[in-house]
Amino acid sequence: MNIPAYYEFCNRVKTFSGHKALDQLPQILQNLKAKKPLIITDKGVSAAGLITIVNKALGTKVKAGAIYDDVPPDSDLKVVNKVAEVYKNKGCDAIVAVGGGSVLDTAKGVNILVSENADDLMRFTGAGAVKRKLKPLIAIPTTSGTGSEVTLVAVIADHENSLKMVFTSIFLLPDAAILDSRMTKTLPPFLTALTAMDAMSHAVESYICIGKNPLSDAHALSAIELISQNLLNVVKKPKDLEGRLALANASILAGAAFSNSMVGMVHNLGHATGAICHVPHGSCMSIFLPYGLEYNLHKSEKAIGELYFALAGAEAYNDTPVKERPFKTIEFLRNLNEELHTATDGRHSRFLGEIFDRDNNPMVPQSKLKDIAVNAMGDGAKIYNPEELSLEDNLMVLQHAFDGTPLNLKKIKKG
Amino acid sequence: MKIYEEIKPKKKPIKKIYVAAMLWFVGRAIQAAAKTDKNVKEEFKNLRDDFAFSLGVVPNGPVMIVGKTKEGKVKYQGWSKKGQKLTLEMNIKNIEAAMLVFTFQESTSVAFARNRFFVTGDLPDALAVVRILDLVEVYLLPKIITKLAVKRYPKWSELNPIKKYVNRIIIYVRTILGV
Repeated sequence: MNIPAYYEFCNRVKTFSGHKALDQLPQILQNLKAKKPLIITDKGVSAAGLITIVNKALGTKVKAGAIYDDVPPDSDLKVVNKVAEVYKNKGCDAIVAVGGGSVLDTAKGVNILVSENADDLMRFTGAGAVKRKLKPLIAIPTTSGTGSEVTLVAVIADHENSLKMVFTSIFLLPDAAILDSRMTKTLPPFLTALTAMDAMSHAVESYICIGKNPLSDAHALSAIELISQNLLNVVKKPKDLEGRLALANASILAGAAFSNSMVGMVHNLGHATGAICHVPHGSCMSIFLPYGLEYNLHKSEKAIGELYFALAGAEAYNDTPVKERPFKTIEFLRNLNEELHTATDGRHSRFLGEIFDRDNNPMVPQSKLKDIAVNAMGDGAKIYNPEELSLEDNLMVLQHAFDGTPLNLKKIKKG
Repeated sequence: MKIYEEIKPKKKPIKKIYVAAMLWFVGRAIQAAAKTDKNVKEEFKNLRDDFAFSLGVVPNGPVMIVGKTKEGKVKYQGWSKKGQKLTLEMNIKNIEAAMLVFTFQESTSVAFARNRFFVTGDLPDALAVVRILDLVEVYLLPKIITKLAVKRYPKWSELNPIKKYVNRIIIYVRTILGV
């Protein structure tokens, strides 16, 4: 194992995991000296009855100060300001975020405003601008997932000015994360597949990119093993609570991994595709993941080969000659996408050209590939990618991802 | 009561002088490259009109500043942040980290990955500066050293050797003369 000359790793989030882990919520709040939490969530989570479970867990000792359940799918500055007002008006003293990435990021943004007693979130953008401990924040993820419950990043969009604000600080880390299998039990199969492949991309990229370190590697490999062993089962049998808990743990492990070693071209191209064509993040991740490995093969061959152990198990790994292992890794992930496509009745996309919106219109037209390639040049994730990416390289990968054809390894420019 | 002597950290003057000299040269080389190489010109053209960035060591330097003038020209603007309106600050956390970067023991991207830098300002602008620095390093340094600093050395089809050597001479002359 290669130990980098220097690295930093921080994961201060206390994790509670179990089939009824939410029962710990009153004790967690008491330990944080919180009596009147604001619950932040979205309409989907509310409609699924998950807030009822959270309220029941609170019991009689603690009562929520307020519940805000109108967070949009894409975290928004106006909503953050509105929720912060609710927090102040209701005299809350803690935040309980119940939802996916957007809810968790919104909660982090709200926490900045209410803790700093500020009304301008822009002052805190960038890395390290939040410099002190914030109010207690408990994260209860309902997808498996973005891993936001253990990341020190929040991304909030200012739609009015077409800006995406990024906040990075260790003080954004929640105080606690609760993984309760009941929270993801009702997640539909295609969303289970999307969010789990998002977690898979976090783990894989953190293992092969240049920020890798022994601590993030350990988290990443565990995450990959859990996803590989449980994802298809859970997609086919959504009520498999053991499987749901395993995926929730995989998501938090992958989140801890990439939060401390960053990600590369899969996220680079995925962010750009999401920004230009509004494709769900998980779709982008699952499509670009095999391409990211092919593109970086000459630089990260050993690491990509090692992933095969976590994906396929010890026996398959031992039976495969060392030189073939990286190719087997890529093949495994492509096959996984195929199987998920079948198991979700075609809703899990395998290439960009087969992503359609609700009105059956293609979400990524061929004509937009150039815009996506240009947008990707401004995304920070490319710094951590092992191989350089120029505009032409982006276009080449995007075209193959659009057509669903593997990259021609001979055409990759090697640094 | 025992009195303890205050331990003052050493000032590392040699390292500071070396990094200062490298930053001074790179800053002036960026100014020269912006007049000589079309890719560097294009990168600056895509940046905002009041773009100015600093690259240096916190907390007390050394630092170099490069920015666009009102006429749109790229100019090396000295080694002091006082009175400067910076749109991007690329800060190296300490002089030891700066030495790793400027003695090419760590490439720019590896230095980022190892948290040697922190950046204030727009990330796309920071990436543009990294691309500019890569291009300038190709001109300033022999291939054997540049390959330690950049992820991928340009192929012949991207930068033919004749153009590279001619531009290298022009950039060196411009850097030394400051024109």
